[in-house]
Amino acid sequence: MMEYQVIENINISLSYHKLSLEIPPTAKLPLPGQFYTVRCGETKDPLLRRPFSMHRLIKRGEAVHLEILYRVVGKGTEWLSRCKVGEKLNAIGPLGNGFIFQEDVANVILVARGIGIAPLYGVAEAVLMRNQGARIFILMGARTKERVFYEEECRKIGRAFFYTDDGSKGFQGNGPQLLMHLMERKKLPQRFCMYACGPSHMLRDLADISEKFDLPGQVALEEHMGCGLGACLSCACPLRASYIRRDKHWEKPSLQWSEDRRQVYSLICKDGPVYDIQEVNWNEWVV
Amino acid sequence: MNGLCELSSYIGPMRLKNPVMPASGTFGYGEEYEDYVDLNRLGAVIVKTITLKPRIGSHPHRSTEVPSGLLANIGLQNVGIEGFIDEKLPYFDDIDTSLIVSIGGESIEEYVNLGKILNGHTRVDALELNISCPNVESGGIHFGVDPKVTRNLVTCVRDITEKALIVKLTPMVTDIRIFAEICQQCGADAVSLINGLPGMAIDVKARRSKLGRNTAGALVGPAIKPFALYLVRQVCETVDIPVFGIGGISSTEDAMEFLIAGASAVEIGTWNFINPKITMEIIDGIEAYLLENNLHSISEVIGTLS
Repeated sequence: MMEYQVIENINISLSYHKLSLEIPPTAKLPLPGQFYTVRCGETKDPLLRRPFSMHRLIKRGEAVHLEILYRVVGKGTEWLSRCKVGEKLNAIGPLGNGFIFQEDVANVILVARGIGIAPLYGVAEAVLMRNQGARIFILMGARTKERVFYEEECRKIGRAFFYTDDGSKGFQGNGPQLLMHLMERKKLPQRFCMYACGPSHMLRDLADISEKFDLPGQVALEEHMGCGLGACLSCACPLRASYIRRDKHWEKPSLQWSEDRRQVYSLICKDGPVYDIQEVNWNEWVV
Repeated sequence: MNGLCELSSYIGPMRLKNPVMPASGTFGYGEEYEDYVDLNRLGAVIVKTITLKPRIGSHPHRSTEVPSGLLANIGLQNVGIEGFIDEKLPYFDDIDTSLIVSIGGESIEEYVNLGKILNGHTRVDALELNISCPNVESGGIHFGVDPKVTRNLVTCVRDITEKALIVKLTPMVTDIRIFAEICQQCGADAVSLINGLPGMAIDVKARRSKLGRNTAGALVGPAIKPFALYLVRQVCETVDIPVFGIGGISSTEDAMEFLIAGASAVEIGTWNFINPKITMEIIDGIEAYLLENNLHSISEVIGTLS
């Protein structure tokens, strides 16, 4: 738990904002996929800390800045959007486990919807750091053209494809449909690794594609959190009892099995928020 | 003595270093907070409710925020008594403060069995009977809303344990004093109150519960504090055994309110999530209050409401 100074807090587009915080010299640095819980306000309403994933880590001289992308959706983020440069925010982190990268990673597809792009940008940067020749494809979209943001930034890190539900920009349809469309037209490499963040039904559809075509993937899940520390057990997510990654880098200290061991829940704040796309029991998870 | 002031007390055979404890269910099994809290400094540690068998807990989407409160339906997810003894209890070998284990059962026999099993573990100083969880059957409210059932349960558990016995009461009764009196008559060493109140929140766009498939949850946090304080005062005026005050405590001032109302100690719940160091801050704050007011012992504050 530390105080982080606000370096920048700007509105990008509609309700999307970018916050930049100076990481104190003694604080740990986050990995892509890890998150922070930020106290949004000084009163009891909003009450709980809000979880935000690391977007980018930027070195400016001696200082390291943590960038967070967020969408104003309620009282907490509204308060956050009014924070001024120079003010301090109380944050806990980095929390959870980040994305995993193979050293020889070559082809990566990022699938995001809306604010889901937030943790994926760091994925692209991490992949390129490991392999400058890696090919990055970004599938980014939203409900309508107006809601698609971060277009330039997406183009900067790879080959960007856009989609909208109403077809007002790019492909008409959702992320998984665009992925299928590109695969069918051989616009993508044969083999690739998928990294995704967005609504749970989008992730479920991507999991189906991952299974059907035997493509590896990882997802960052979002959920309301009470503590972020593995104590309140609010952020339980059902996993597939028959497919749980517990190899290196996939530690899961918070699994809770049912008595008959046919069902298992994992805590997103401790075991996640990053999961192998095949681990999650999507039918149970998607409301 | 804790510094210059006497903060300690005895609850039956159990010593509380000071009157500040985390509330069951908000502090995991203790170890989750080790980066933020010196567990040795707590009055006692209260771990989350343990049942005979492991419990996977409620469906996902277990919590949602409401104004100044939290609605949560965790469904007593826990590792079960075997898992607790094998995996969680050894952690406390190196912790120098009292340990209170909250237990929940689906029948009186289950509570008795849990008590008997824990009798074999000297590291456990006290049992807190959870008879007030609004979300589940086991450890559920069923044992806390019928005076006859409460009497039976407390009598049966008292019979089999010499550890300190605390009963956690629900506010969902017409007169909570009746239940506190029963606990006293049946030999409980203390009562703790209040557990969460049942509550709901609805997403009007989707016309669905904000707790997914869990229609309702327990309302906890600052929103319930005035109500909790009122019931604690009522119970303190009725029974002679110590009362642990619980409900929305987020500061030293809140804790002092409960102590002045007559609580011998307080349990901090939801605020651990917002400030994981809050228990430490309240211990320091209570000590500072005593020093500022030239008092030497916490007993000079408890129940001094004029």
